[in-house]
Amino acid sequence: MKSLSKQLAMENKLFLRNMDDLFWTIVFPLFFILLYGFIYKDMMWEDYGMRAIDYIMPGIIVMALMVTGIMSSATGFIEDRQKGIYRRLSVTPLKKYVIILSQIINRYMIMLIQTFIIMIIGVLLFNVSISGNYFLLLLVITLGAVCFLSIGFFLVTFVKNARAATPVCMIVFFMLLFLGGIFFPLNIMPDFLRVISNILPSTQLNDALRMVIIEGLGISSMYKELLITGGWIIVTLGLSIKFFKWE
Amino acid sequence: MGNKFAYSLEVKDLTKHYGSVKAVDGVSFSIEKGEIFGLLGPNGAGKTTTVEMIVGLRKPDNGSINICSIDALSNLSAIKEVIGVQLQTTALYNKIRVIEAIELFGSYYKKSLPPSEILELVSLDEKKNAYYVTLSGGQKQRLALGLALVNDPSVLFLDEPTTGLDPQARRNVWDIIENLKKQGKTIILTTHYMEEAEKLCKRVAIIDKGIIIAIDTPGDLIKAAGTDSTVEFEATGFKEELIINELSHLGKVIKTSEGKFTIYTKTPSRALKEISGFAEKNNVNIENINTRRATLEDVFISMTGRKLRD
Repeated sequence: MKSLSKQLAMENKLFLRNMDDLFWTIVFPLFFILLYGFIYKDMMWEDYGMRAIDYIMPGIIVMALMVTGIMSSATGFIEDRQKGIYRRLSVTPLKKYVIILSQIINRYMIMLIQTFIIMIIGVLLFNVSISGNYFLLLLVITLGAVCFLSIGFFLVTFVKNARAATPVCMIVFFMLLFLGGIFFPLNIMPDFLRVISNILPSTQLNDALRMVIIEGLGISSMYKELLITGGWIIVTLGLSIKFFKWE
Repeated sequence: MGNKFAYSLEVKDLTKHYGSVKAVDGVSFSIEKGEIFGLLGPNGAGKTTTVEMIVGLRKPDNGSINICSIDALSNLSAIKEVIGVQLQTTALYNKIRVIEAIELFGSYYKKSLPPSEILELVSLDEKKNAYYVTLSGGQKQRLALGLALVNDPSVLFLDEPTTGLDPQARRNVWDIIENLKKQGKTIILTTHYMEEAEKLCKRVAIIDKGIIIAIDTPGDLIKAAGTDSTVEFEATGFKEELIINELSHLGKVIKTSEGKFTIYTKTPSRALKEISGFAEKNNVNIENINTRRATLEDVFISMTGRKLRD
């Protein structure tokens, strides 16, 4: 426990000192919620029977979780691994699970903070009303956190080279972002793209979050969304655990 | 345990193959408590692979390793508490402060030295609040050394501790190692700098192509190789076989590069005379003739016919 709390404290410090991470995880999503909030104001999206900002805010939370899980965590880990940091740690008595656990807790904390900030802005500046159950909200956020960290872990496992890390993670991030219906409704997409969209975890989490935050629906309305997300976790995490290497 | 003849480190028949390449081929040696032991050899000789197997980074194909009477292959977690390791390249998080790195590494061990003591040992007190990324190469290397010392290890492993450092930074690291030597630390260091091995090590193992070809004190290695003195010269315009044949009664004659020869001899003044006599008789043009005391580099050349660094 002593080593875990020390390691976690260090992960937190390193995160706060890294301007890149701070920008992408906090400033970047904030920029989007403010941008869309001021553009759409109270404009309605009739197809969905809600205001555009109500549709978009849950998507921006999903985007923020993806930034943390995929861009910041995966690229950071691949770089540190290539530099030999984990190799150096492996000749100390520090247990490997402490390294992993401290990073997971650190990222999870960041994700909760991101969600909180985006929701506060949505509520205070753009009159988004939170109608759902907070425990269910926490559950969906946690599932999203686990899912995107697993996808990040998957990338860490199969992308060895630090120079390839940033572009590969970017591509995955933007695919999930644009095909996930985060900035525009899925019904304007051509059919073949919609097929892909419908199996992406970003789409499912986006829908689930909107159901719980905006529409105030219960867990029974989102079994499909949660199951598909769970499927992504099982596949990416399973393959990562099987093939992951520290060096 | 408790046996005063027990070795701090005992390695027997250590072997590692990569496909058909024998990176380390039956390496055995023992190190006494308080000894500084050097593994000297060219790049790719198997020094690093040997150290990496001992500290548990690689699994040997064969052989046994005992550290402070603990079987290292079956008790890796116990071993990790009592060894300190400086890897050939140590990198840390860019934005970690020197003092934080020392405290963090200290927290990994059951017992650790106070950070202030480590800072003093590696003379980084003035830099203790600096971020890792802002340190110079020499300072980074000293920090790596400090991190290897946080648990007051019984055996310290230094893999190429001065490679890539400028002369001043190298001397700083040597001073720290000399200081540790005075404190009675047991140290195993790998290097391809012979002057480093000669200066710091009580005993040296010369390793080439995965095999230890000689193991002794630097002084005795030089004597045993019959290389007490070294006569070097450049000869142009003549067959090298003739030079080697005509002068080989003086000692071992080796062509070190095109037109450059080295003779290892016990009688340097006689050698000088005979070389000039030979040059006159055969009309060979000889230049840059000089004699000097032999070094470990010469031991390596006389044993393998190759230079330590190419």
